[in-house]
Amino acid sequence: MLLASAAALPLLLGTAGCRASDVFTGPDPLAGRPPLGHDVLTLQAVIAAEEGMIDLYRAAISGDSGKHRAARARTLRALLAQHEQHLARLKARLIVPPGMSASPSPSPSPDGSGSAFFSAGPVSLAQLRAAERTSAANLVRRLATAPPALAQLLASIAASDATHVTALGG
Amino acid sequence: MANTGAVAALQAALAAENAAIFGYGVAGAHLTGSSQAAAEQDWTGHNQARDTLAAMISARGAAPAAARAYYQLPFRVHDASSAIRLAAYIEDGVTRAYLGLVAVSDQRLRRFGALAMQDAAQRAASWRGSTLAFPGLFPPAS
Repeated sequence: MLLASAAALPLLLGTAGCRASDVFTGPDPLAGRPPLGHDVLTLQAVIAAEEGMIDLYRAAISGDSGKHRAARARTLRALLAQHEQHLARLKARLIVPPGMSASPSPSPSPDGSGSAFFSAGPVSLAQLRAAERTSAANLVRRLATAPPALAQLLASIAASDATHVTALGG
Repeated sequence: MANTGAVAALQAALAAENAAIFGYGVAGAHLTGSSQAAAEQDWTGHNQARDTLAAMISARGAAPAAARAYYQLPFRVHDASSAIRLAAYIEDGVTRAYLGLVAVSDQRLRRFGALAMQDAAQRAASWRGSTLAFPGLFPPAS
């Protein structure tokens, strides 16, 4: 059926008084990538924020030279492992068209949720607590427009982040 | 239909709060000192949450479900250790119940449910002494 239709196209174009090369001028509207859905954009932003959080924890662990660092590192590694689980779950939900990245290109995020939020250098527990609080608040803000199942995942991650604030001494 | 879903989710949260109130009554009887004070504080919080949920259900034209006279406990509670385990179990269940509100179409209820999840997850982590990656959603890896 498709072959028959394709074979008939030049005939139809000829009947309409135009050549095949006249039909599509400028960018080919059929060759573009599909626009990303809102849930995909949400997931991409949350994935980028989670990656930033993981970077922050790794920096905190590797840069810690203070007293009681062994005990602190144990706590931080446990929380880091949970952020890595968050990231894995988020990435498992993300389906992007071929040729497109799972994460948006790195750029400063207006809501402070992107990787650019975190600066280089020693990372204190206070910074980790602030980042966890910000993450939980940003995730709750995203609930309004997320599909139900994604909203539940984001709310659960936000609850986990909120418990991390307390675990970090907040 | 949307209101029906919201009321059902609110009723589920209310049922969890009623069970939590009963459970903390049992747990508190086996605790002393700061643990007992924490249990009393959490018991009071669950009573307030119950009243809030009942008012939200009534405002939607439905009757809040009444608490049962007795709840089957998930395990025998006979000392401080099992009482603390019960408190963590209760808060995990309450977190799960509020997760239902996050899936309704009403955006304010979603936010309300998410913030209540955070409170319950924090109480659960405090009783358990450790955090979870996905409170209310996936069971902890064993």
